[in-house]
Amino acid sequence: MSRPAPPREARPAREAGPAQEVAPRLGRALVAGLALVWALPFWWMLVAAFRHPDAGPAASLLPPLAPTLANFAEAWASADFPLYFLNTVLLCGGILAVQLVTASLAGYAFARLDFPGRSLVFGLFLVQLMLVPAVLLVPNLKTVAALGLYDTLPGVMAPYWATAFGTFLMRQAFREVPRDLEDAALIDGAGVWRLIRHVYLPLTKPALVAFSIVSVTSHWNEFLWPLIVINSPGRRPLTLGLASFTLSAEGTQGWGVIAAGTFLVSLPLLTAFLVFQRRFVNSFLASGIK
Amino acid sequence: MRSWWRAARRAAAVLVAAGGALAAGGARATDIDLFFPVPVDGALARHMTTLVKEFNAAHPGITATPVFTGSYDDTLLKTRAAIRAGKPPAAVIMSANFLTDLAIEREIAPLDDLITAGGQTPDAFMDQFFPALRPNAVIDRKVYGVPFHNSTPLLYYNADQFREAGLDPDAPPRTWEELAAAARTLTRREGERTTRWGLMMPSSYDYGGWILEALTMSNGGRYYNEDYGGEVYYDTPTMLGALTFWSNLVHKAKVHPAGETKGPTVTASFLAGQAAMMIISTGSLTFIRDSAKFPFRVAFVPMNVRRAVPIGGASLVQPAVLDPEKRKAGWTLIRWLTGPEKSGWWSRATGYFAPNRAAYDLPEMKAFLDRNPDARTAVDQLANAKPWFATYRTVPVRKAIEDELQAVLAGKRQPKEALVAAQKAADAIMRPYVEDTALRLPGAE
Repeated sequence: MSRPAPPREARPAREAGPAQEVAPRLGRALVAGLALVWALPFWWMLVAAFRHPDAGPAASLLPPLAPTLANFAEAWASADFPLYFLNTVLLCGGILAVQLVTASLAGYAFARLDFPGRSLVFGLFLVQLMLVPAVLLVPNLKTVAALGLYDTLPGVMAPYWATAFGTFLMRQAFREVPRDLEDAALIDGAGVWRLIRHVYLPLTKPALVAFSIVSVTSHWNEFLWPLIVINSPGRRPLTLGLASFTLSAEGTQGWGVIAAGTFLVSLPLLTAFLVFQRRFVNSFLASGIK
Repeated sequence: MRSWWRAARRAAAVLVAAGGALAAGGARATDIDLFFPVPVDGALARHMTTLVKEFNAAHPGITATPVFTGSYDDTLLKTRAAIRAGKPPAAVIMSANFLTDLAIEREIAPLDDLITAGGQTPDAFMDQFFPALRPNAVIDRKVYGVPFHNSTPLLYYNADQFREAGLDPDAPPRTWEELAAAARTLTRREGERTTRWGLMMPSSYDYGGWILEALTMSNGGRYYNEDYGGEVYYDTPTMLGALTFWSNLVHKAKVHPAGETKGPTVTASFLAGQAAMMIISTGSLTFIRDSAKFPFRVAFVPMNVRRAVPIGGASLVQPAVLDPEKRKAGWTLIRWLTGPEKSGWWSRATGYFAPNRAAYDLPEMKAFLDRNPDARTAVDQLANAKPWFATYRTVPVRKAIEDELQAVLAGKRQPKEALVAAQKAADAIMRPYVEDTALRLPGAE
């Protein structure tokens, strides 16, 4: 669960002559410290999730002597997790599938096609990134309602289908692809579609993967927009299901159950990250984002 | 398992329908949504679902769907967005102090015509509820909300720790002086580290403003103008006293933790024995009773000048523009939820007191109070209860003082300068309304 400890970050220091002895160790200690800070909440979540509600103070970091699954049972019973999980997967998948198409096509257009006002349109497109999402809640909801998508999963997805961030990322990635490859493909008789499919996309895989990770994690964790759009309990994503017993205003709740619920919700993403860790790190390095 | 498949199929059907672009119109029966916020959380969310199912079974013409809508603040946001998008819910459980703002903006409708159509006068209708709840529900002599569950702040204390510190659990602190003295006696330190706080009060958004109002009112203050939505009394001696008292508990006596303290932290510390006293809502009473491993008691909020606390909790409201059919169905649901029987049941499940006075005449309630005399304290304290602050744009006006409160508790501001800044910020937020009302004068042209 710990973040990939990056020995490669320490590597440049090795060439730095006199600092040779100290720098790598310092770097490693720093990274270890950061990893510890980062891992602590997860550790607490695990400990609290398996601790019996009556055993000891909630803030303790010591693992319980007699682990229990009671918290999981209660969390599982208090929300329809399989359904919420399905909804979240549909949401993230539906958003990502469309985003990959729109972002790569728009990215190609902005990177390689010459048309009047290209930089102006691109600039306007990027303004999207500057807007605070909360400002767009009501206008977006109006549009979604007018399209008949109120209280539907596509209604939650729709505003994200045109992604400024993805388009920007793909444009930058496409610009890195040498023109010669495009020319060679053109000489071989490839059209624009085949060009994108067989030349550009395979060469920009790291950018695609990096963007996918960012997109999936942000939408997996999203709360406010789904809260606004979704009414039917059967269409709630995980975050809403989780919030219905973790948030609290005047009422209060058991930390063990919250920890267990949080663990259940984050487990799929955590597993995916652990399994594909190496590939993810490589994509981030190659695409230069974090 | 079966419900899983049914729901999965429904989700799939939704996708397919949306794939065909312009999707379905509404169903024929009166389908209504009930928005409910998070204090109705966890197990309570399930109770709410059960309650609404029971309603649907008893009313074949209506299908109500309970919609969970986040915190009180999120519920306001979602309700407003839904109204503007033309999808208003038929009923909302709304924080009682948002009604003034919603009424000023004409986003919720008066219910007087529905009450009269049921053969009651609005006055007689409101008479069912405790009088302290009226100012937050009746605005400009019109009934805008029906009280659903309500609270007041209470002093909770650990009786074992009282005894161990040589204090008498039967004589809880009644004044600020006694409160500060008890907190000092109860605080435990190991070197520089405090292992047990004498007193904890929540200071997070929504909760902090409410507790500060309780202290201000106990200090003789009013906090806001109950009759006019454009005035708050932040920069006043009564609030200065209240804020300085809280600040002194933190920075001088060091019997209360510094910085922002969230509600769940307060209850968790109290339950873990790391806070000997706390002032929080009666709405947490059932949870504390079920979770505490030690004898605890509750008492009125201690006073400095007079006994007074604000009410809290939520009322049921209806959006202004609503299909007449849905409005009637929503009203049926509201009346059903706020009747003595359901009101009492909900009170026993949560700890909130039942706003409907008749709930306390029912045999289940009498038996319950005999078993749990602490639940009676909240009801008795109603004799001292005053309305909850409610102004034009309540949330930002409230945050103006809460930001300063948190800065004071963190030691970044002195109380006086904090109040001046909060007053200035609040006045600026309410300016448009003030200019449109109190400062719109004849003969200025």
